[in-house]
Amino acid sequence: MNTRSEVEHELVFAHGLAAVLLLFVAIGFGILASTELVSPDLSHGIPVLSWGRLRYDHTQGILFGWLGNAFFAFLYYGIPIVTGRPVTSRNLGRVMFGIWNFMIVLPGWALVLAGFSQPLEWAEFPIVIDVFVVLAILLAIIQFLPGFFRAGLENLYVSGWYVVGSLVFTALAYPMGNFVPEYVPGARGAAFSGLWIHDAVGLFVTPMALSAIYFVIPAAMKRPVYSHFLSMLGFWLLFFLYPLNGTHHYVFSVIPMDAQKGAIAASALLGVDVIIVVANLLLSMRGSGLIPRDLPLRFVGTSTVFYLIVSIQGSLQAQMMFNQSIHFTDWVVGHSHLAMLGFATFAAAGGLIHAWRHIPWARYNRDAMEAAYWLLTTGVLAMFIDLTLAGLVEGSTWASGAPWLESVRAVRSYWLFRTILSVPIALGFVALLMGMTTGPRNQPAAEERLAA
Amino acid sequence: MSAPRTALLVAGVGGIGFFAMSILVLGVWPGRVLEDQTKKLAPAHPLPLTPSEQRGREIYSREGCAYCHTQQVRYLDRDIQRFGKPTLAWETRFDYPHLWGTRRIGPDLSRESSIRSDDWQFAHLYNPRNLVPDSVMPAFPSYFDGAPDRPLQSAQDLLAYLKSLGRARELADTDPALNASASSARREDKHPQLASVSATPQARDLYAHNCAGCHGEKGDGEGPGASGLRPHPANLTEHEYTNDRVARALWNGIAGSAMPAWRDFPASDLAALSAVVRQFHTASPEATPPQQIVDLGRQIYADHCAQCHGENGAGDGPGAKEINMQPTDFTAERPSLAESLRALRNGVDGTPMAPWNTKLSEAELSAVAYYVRSFYTPE
Repeated sequence: MNTRSEVEHELVFAHGLAAVLLLFVAIGFGILASTELVSPDLSHGIPVLSWGRLRYDHTQGILFGWLGNAFFAFLYYGIPIVTGRPVTSRNLGRVMFGIWNFMIVLPGWALVLAGFSQPLEWAEFPIVIDVFVVLAILLAIIQFLPGFFRAGLENLYVSGWYVVGSLVFTALAYPMGNFVPEYVPGARGAAFSGLWIHDAVGLFVTPMALSAIYFVIPAAMKRPVYSHFLSMLGFWLLFFLYPLNGTHHYVFSVIPMDAQKGAIAASALLGVDVIIVVANLLLSMRGSGLIPRDLPLRFVGTSTVFYLIVSIQGSLQAQMMFNQSIHFTDWVVGHSHLAMLGFATFAAAGGLIHAWRHIPWARYNRDAMEAAYWLLTTGVLAMFIDLTLAGLVEGSTWASGAPWLESVRAVRSYWLFRTILSVPIALGFVALLMGMTTGPRNQPAAEERLAA
Repeated sequence: MSAPRTALLVAGVGGIGFFAMSILVLGVWPGRVLEDQTKKLAPAHPLPLTPSEQRGREIYSREGCAYCHTQQVRYLDRDIQRFGKPTLAWETRFDYPHLWGTRRIGPDLSRESSIRSDDWQFAHLYNPRNLVPDSVMPAFPSYFDGAPDRPLQSAQDLLAYLKSLGRARELADTDPALNASASSARREDKHPQLASVSATPQARDLYAHNCAGCHGEKGDGEGPGASGLRPHPANLTEHEYTNDRVARALWNGIAGSAMPAWRDFPASDLAALSAVVRQFHTASPEATPPQQIVDLGRQIYADHCAQCHGENGAGDGPGAKEINMQPTDFTAERPSLAESLRALRNGVDGTPMAPWNTKLSEAELSAVAYYVRSFYTPE
């Protein structure tokens, strides 16, 4: 076990701060877009404030600005510890930080607002930005993965597995999802798009989040995870099943029924896999109580519970009987908020705060973090329930054959409530930022050795 | 196993192997099936987008239209009944990239080409709430030169694209079930009989949310959406309608105008709307014109009007079939004298009805204006 001196505190700090600052912009886009659904003339016809462009920037901002930066912050702390050697180069890290934020997130947002974008989910930044994303992923492989192939490393902890698998997979899947539909038209392109929609969430965000969860739990519990066998089983099932889920975004479409059914079966099995993973994680947390005192642990624990709910929900909503009623509705929007704002955000926050606590000069305000946790938990759950109900209302209105606009009128109060819920969520993130920038500075003495 | 070998296994099998498996099984193989299906079912003559339609498609893409409007009718009864036949693979074969969408806040647009009129589309893009008060769609005034009837090239391109949606399939498949939209206007007489009811506050509310955008709160045809529409929305205060006439207009829309059909409304709602529409007109006592005026009117009508409006004023003259819009059926709707004179003098913009002020004298215009009002037969 190496010492913490190899951890890249400076890059943890930079990515951590960038993550939270860009998060405010990303949720700003979301809040504006949700307000425009309640008050559609808010934009006054100004093109850069148009709903579609805000919607593109919202999700791309959450993916790249917030989660991407937060995961990088965690990796600069976690990878040196898991591999027992420093990352490849601190200067490379500075370059990657520049590319990620100043060549991808900020210009991506600006270009989308200016009308240069791709109408593909989780791929809305224009192709010129995609080139830099691919470059950044390749650089991340160079930066983080060599340590795993170092001779003499005895065991590879499961957090490392997820990072290796995720970065390699995403280096292939990202260009597939962003470039192929530009050259393969219509239904054939949609088949690839469906894969990427799921790969972005399933093979980039999920493994990174699980990597952080698998890291924080044993570190905070000061004992190994419950079962390394279950960790491995969970990993292999996830990487086998997740890539086969994508077609479930196009159930009842012209895409061959065998492909749809395969994806639906894989979606159901994925729920089983998540039960295995979550059982292992929660068993690893046994003894910490329902509401652990350690905040990073509490964040990743709650993330684990969100992960269970959102995955079981995903397995169910891929099933045809269910899918026909809720597909195209706000149910799915609720599902994706539980996934990205619940599961992924809580894991990213847990990993980030855990790493942040070990930056010798960084500040940490426990009370603010406590407030952040409760505000976010309340906000996410309420938004999830609200959008789920809205989706059920929409689905049943459509099925009734009522005039289309009835479905819009019927959910306006749900949309208004969703917009109101952005208040606790935004305050939660303000508290998160305060937790990282106010309070006493971390004591180097607080450093402890990782149990794993 | 040593760590580097584990890492290699994870990278090779988990990262590369499973990725390759997924694109082969769910990308490449379905693609080949879809390509075969396209070859088998696509019409012989491809119909790619024109440059204008292509530019419109780019606007549709960058404004995120596909994030509220799907272009994919699923193989599901609820989709088929609302939108029409399921989307086939070849219909989107020129879409780089596809615009299938995964969310519906607005309706599916796969068959949009024949559902709405051009002026409706422009006025709606300019500001949807002018026509559809409860719409949440963004307004796009920046594609216009200050008014809905002054579209810039960009709005014309976008409209051209919208009109391309479903066009190729429509040419290949003439089954009316192809487009199930309850809003497409069609030139048909068939419609359900509506009960004669009174205009309740709920009925007025229904009118306010669905009709007032164009026809105005007071029924004067001056709603916020009216200015961009050719023909102008009917001034309901200036017309006396039979219940049957309103039923026909509500059920079938007015083909050739922006008036859509409302077939997805329950008959009780349509009956309520008819009651509201009909009570906008207030009858006032009128003098009977002298016989010689009636005779002059009859003569002029037979010479100039019957060709389209029919000998008996039922809008069924021999020329009626040749024009894109049903001529007014005077047996079921009776314009006020002023309205009738206005139409004769100025014509009706956006319809085949031409101005007659250069061809007929003032006396002849008045005579025929009186005369067309004599066809009306109240129920």
